[in-house]
Amino acid sequence: MDYKSKNLVAERKRRKKLGDRLLNLRALVPRITNMKKETIIEDAINYIQELQENVKFLTGKLQLLEVEPFSEEEANPKREETNTVEDMKKCGIQENVEVSYMSGNKVQIKIIFEKKRGKFTKLLEAITSHGFQLSDTSMTSSKGATLVSFFAEVTYDGTLAVEETRKSLLQIVRSM
Amino acid sequence: MYEEPGCFNPNKSMAEGADSGAVQKQFEENMKLSADELSYYHHNHQEDAAVSAMELEFQKHLAFNVKNCDDDPNQLLSNDHFNWNAGDIGINQDDPQQNGHRSFDINSLPQTADLLNLFHLPRSSLLPNSSISFSNSNHDTTPLGFIGDLPASDSTSVWYDPLFHLNLPPQPPLPPLLSLSQGGANSLFGDERDSSGVTAYQDGDGGMLEFTRDTACIVRGSETGKMTKPFTTERQKREHFGTKFTVLRNLVPKPTKPDRASILGDAIEYIKQLLSTVNELKLLLERKRCGIERSKRHKTEDDAGGDVESCNIRPLDDPEQSYNGSVRSSWLQRKSKDTEVDVRVIDDEVTIKLFQRKKIDCLLLVSEVLDELQLDLHHVAGGQIGNYYSFLFNTKIYEGSSVYAGAIANKVIEVMDREYAAVPPTRSY
Repeated sequence: MDYKSKNLVAERKRRKKLGDRLLNLRALVPRITNMKKETIIEDAINYIQELQENVKFLTGKLQLLEVEPFSEEEANPKREETNTVEDMKKCGIQENVEVSYMSGNKVQIKIIFEKKRGKFTKLLEAITSHGFQLSDTSMTSSKGATLVSFFAEVTYDGTLAVEETRKSLLQIVRSM
Repeated sequence: MYEEPGCFNPNKSMAEGADSGAVQKQFEENMKLSADELSYYHHNHQEDAAVSAMELEFQKHLAFNVKNCDDDPNQLLSNDHFNWNAGDIGINQDDPQQNGHRSFDINSLPQTADLLNLFHLPRSSLLPNSSISFSNSNHDTTPLGFIGDLPASDSTSVWYDPLFHLNLPPQPPLPPLLSLSQGGANSLFGDERDSSGVTAYQDGDGGMLEFTRDTACIVRGSETGKMTKPFTTERQKREHFGTKFTVLRNLVPKPTKPDRASILGDAIEYIKQLLSTVNELKLLLERKRCGIERSKRHKTEDDAGGDVESCNIRPLDDPEQSYNGSVRSSWLQRKSKDTEVDVRVIDDEVTIKLFQRKKIDCLLLVSEVLDELQLDLHHVAGGQIGNYYSFLFNTKIYEGSSVYAGAIANKVIEVMDREYAAVPPTRSY
């Protein structure tokens, strides 16, 4: 008897869940023809397809529009770029690399460089390809400059002097 | 307790060709119907009914003759309990737990029971008289009367309900029954199977052929509105209803579980996503158009003067912009198996929170993705917490870009998942 009632209760809950969800679906779909279970699903299917078509259409339109104002888009990044150099100069921020060795194989490195789009990515690529394993990275940009601070595990013997590390990193930054 | 029959897939067999699939289809349809019946009305006696239904159907296939209506009803009844653990087979998406074990052995079924035996069984109030009096669609309403009776039926008699809904003329009972239901059901699944509804049994029976075709046509017609009651049996309705769930599931991009409630839930979420995406796109289009108009005005005026004039023009834009459209804002969260993404867009700033379950350093990866998405990274903070990575990205949308929140979230998750799939567990970077 116990199993019977548990089953009943479970089944009732299940049915209720299904019914509630069906009602929610009905609430979302704008055009419902019937109040029957099947038609709401049918309507939902049609509505989803409609929305998908709409999204396609709108993205298509958007892409078309993006092609047009070509010259406008080109002008903007350049404007930004010149501003960053000026801002940095104004605030006295200079390109810089700081290296400090901590205990074990850990190194703390701070790099300041001119903010440019995609530069952060390039920096990460370069650093990791040089064998640094980064952890606890943080990056922040302000006044035309970017500060990247991270800890690194030096994979090879920590015999590389601080100054050498600094120099190689500076080279990396300048080459970007 | 209940198992899904692993080897049995009624839907798949529905899709098979007409020949030998025909017989099995019939079999499966009836079993499914019986399963359906049971799920709706009889939880307790489901196994009995289902099995007996299965057995009956199968015996029909084997027997092909409907003569021995006087067979021992008791024998048939005993079949009820014969292999009750064979259970329901149907695909019931909403009642997977009702599927029994497919342990019954078809060959072992006694061949005595027969279609007409059904008529003699306890629930005979339903059947024989009314069904026998039918010859074609004229008596449409009567089968529905059966449907109305169903809820009251007891377990032992449920399994012959499916046959009655088919509204078949009594003579010859077996073959037309098979082909008719098959034809009816086939119409639900495709035109090419209509011919399969006409089985070999009906060779000499032009009238029956027509009847079958009529049924097929009518059912097809009623697919859209279910208006023509007589030929739309309860079972067909249910099957049709069930297929709609799979259709819905196929529309949703990332379906989770195949049960009906989850399908509905996924559909609800997906509709909400689509709606927000559409709104964002519309807003972007709006801004784009205004931007273009403004830039056109800029150009003509820039040509006329130097920088000073363009500076003057710009302040005028701001009030226009705020006048034209509301500040674009959207917020959405997406999850995948190992990644959670929270994307907030306010005007041209996008804040992305990334939470990854597995230990993979992906900062470089995300940075690349953000570049692709035309998002200018201004600030990143985060790191490793236990076995997780958590990051917060503050970015700005490149001017002129029309990326929207949904696209950002999807791209990030896609890249993350790809990375997880590609990376071996011992990756050290």
